[in-house]
Amino acid sequence: MGATLAIDTSAGTTVALLRNGQVVAEANYGSNMGHAETIGTAIAEVLAAAPDAQVISVVVGRGPAPFTGLRIGIAAAMMFAEGAKAQLSGVVSLDAIALLELEGNSKISAASPLLVTTDARRKEVYYAIYSGLNPHGVPIRVDGPAVIKPAVLEEMLIDKNITPIHATKTITAVAIAKLAEAQLRDGSLSHDVTALYLRQPDAVEGQFGKKVSG
Amino acid sequence: MSKPWAIRIADENDLDAIMQIEHECFANDAWSADSMYEELTGAEKYYIVSYRDEHLVGYAGLNKLPTVHQSEVQTIAVRPAARGTGLGRDLMEHLLAEAVRSDCREVFLEVRADNEVAQKLYLSLGFEQIDVRKRYYQPDDVDAIVMRAQLPAAAKAEPLVLGIESSCDETGVGIVRGTTLLANVISSSMDLHARFGGVVPEVAARAHLEALLPTLHEALATAKVSLEEIDAVAVANGPGLAGALMVGVGAAKALAVSLNKPIYAVNHLVGHVGVDILERGELETPTIALLVSGGHTSLLLVRNLLDDVELLGETIDDAAGEAFDKVARVLGLKYPGGPEIDKAAADGDANAIRFPRGLMLPKDMEKHRYDFSFSGLKTAVARHVEVLNTKGEEVPIADVAASFREAVVDVLVSKAVNACLDHKVPRLLLGGGVIANRRLREVAQQRCEENGIELRIPALSLCTDNGAMIAAIGAQLIAAGRKQSSLHFGADSTLPVTKVQTI
Repeated sequence: MGATLAIDTSAGTTVALLRNGQVVAEANYGSNMGHAETIGTAIAEVLAAAPDAQVISVVVGRGPAPFTGLRIGIAAAMMFAEGAKAQLSGVVSLDAIALLELEGNSKISAASPLLVTTDARRKEVYYAIYSGLNPHGVPIRVDGPAVIKPAVLEEMLIDKNITPIHATKTITAVAIAKLAEAQLRDGSLSHDVTALYLRQPDAVEGQFGKKVSG
Repeated sequence: MSKPWAIRIADENDLDAIMQIEHECFANDAWSADSMYEELTGAEKYYIVSYRDEHLVGYAGLNKLPTVHQSEVQTIAVRPAARGTGLGRDLMEHLLAEAVRSDCREVFLEVRADNEVAQKLYLSLGFEQIDVRKRYYQPDDVDAIVMRAQLPAAAKAEPLVLGIESSCDETGVGIVRGTTLLANVISSSMDLHARFGGVVPEVAARAHLEALLPTLHEALATAKVSLEEIDAVAVANGPGLAGALMVGVGAAKALAVSLNKPIYAVNHLVGHVGVDILERGELETPTIALLVSGGHTSLLLVRNLLDDVELLGETIDDAAGEAFDKVARVLGLKYPGGPEIDKAAADGDANAIRFPRGLMLPKDMEKHRYDFSFSGLKTAVARHVEVLNTKGEEVPIADVAASFREAVVDVLVSKAVNACLDHKVPRLLLGGGVIANRRLREVAQQRCEENGIELRIPALSLCTDNGAMIAAIGAQLIAAGRKQSSLHFGADSTLPVTKVQTI
């Protein structure tokens, strides 16, 4: 039976190896810095727990996340899948957080949905809203993912008369893998691994004619 | 110092001399001449003999089991009179080298438990005891100690290395076998940066992620190799744009882990120097190297590619390529500025305007003999254009472009030639994307000829940022027996050129 390697670098560096839906090993580095330093060791660490495991599936969190760290996990997932000749899939990282919250939480419904937010820096947050789990165990996303100023999000929720339950859990690669399993069951698992930046790069188009003489 | 003996591959004509030593060294358990003949002529056997003054003084043999990537030391014998000279070690090293060449990962041997001298030698060559065979040697009734040496695949003399480069705006994947270039695929995000007039780090990093797999696939197809054949992965971990470098670093680490192959973190700038190996088979040293690109302007003294690279000087403000881009904007020309200015300068007079040469005045030369500065030059061009505009006069673009280009080229070549003459190094190697500039090549050629300096300009595809140069350095590190990098290294945007490999 083949194994699944799950990777997410939307916040810290988190990597997990699962077999038959069971967690074989996980490595979680909380710091949202140093992804490039950590990623190789984290993958090697979980693989070492099951030297005979043949990875046939790689799942990666696509974010959203602010830039640099996110790319490292996606680049690593792409290349690992390539080297291991494994299937590569991508999931929305916020959906994995939602899964962690929704499993075993019956209070969440369309009327009282789950709000997942993560730090987008620059005084903004990424957010998505969920009304519950579908019969296959996949979180039902009713809004997002998007980037927004907290005050604007607040107003929007008031306007729509929504009092959400706020997610508090942090992302893990195990959740990424479980989400992919659920998505495989309902047929929504995607091979798209493009990064969800949800922002344009900061850059100003060429400024000409800046005066240099007095 | 040359050794007093010569080692060559044995053939059946050596049989009689070998048998003489065989009886001398293994009184009670010598092989028969027939068995030895079988050994010498066997298909997967590798026997070597050592002669001194036309007398056989030693021999050794290896039995290769290529299908399982293993080999066994069959025998080794040194005539008593020739012992203690290092001949035994030399013979063993030849056998191990052959094992490596034959892609063996393990070498086994048996040694008499009472032969401590031999055991010591094998331990020092990387063998370790793995088993004991009781009373193996008969009739002497002596145990055999079974030893094994694990050969890293990386110890291959001609390793197949995949190099990844992502320090600026080119995603490069190169594949080399030893010093032979197999593939050099570059995906540039230059067009994406054009509307910004320069490289935007975030745009470059995003483009790397998208280009990674297509570039890898094309490189593998070009080299006609599969990932399983790769012996090692090399990656540029600096200097360069941090966010861009990290994409390559993360990718390379995951690839190395998935293939269970070693990784080598390589200095990008040293890559530019080492690339000459792919065209010439080796890098002639010492050499001065002038690296000029959009991100770097560095003058290096390379005494030894892997051990002794000295930074003589670098730009204290803009890189030369950046100056071309900025001046192109002043003149209303497109990005990237280098080729545009080259084109505009074609009909211009290089001596029309005497633009300043940065850090070339005697007082500057004292402190910054090998440093560069292009910021003042760029401002001088901008001011010149503004003054003409204010007066309502037409800007002679061809003359301005030609005069600007001449100033840049003059400084670059003067300082590089100075470095050659000062250090009595009659070689100059050029690298970096700005080397594409025709005038720079012309002036460098001319001044090098005048000063008796040999000029090396690698093919342009190897001058710009590329993965092949990173792979080439990786292969050199492996051939030199350097240990692999750990998985802990990060991207270092200001990695000093003295750090060829990050462990």
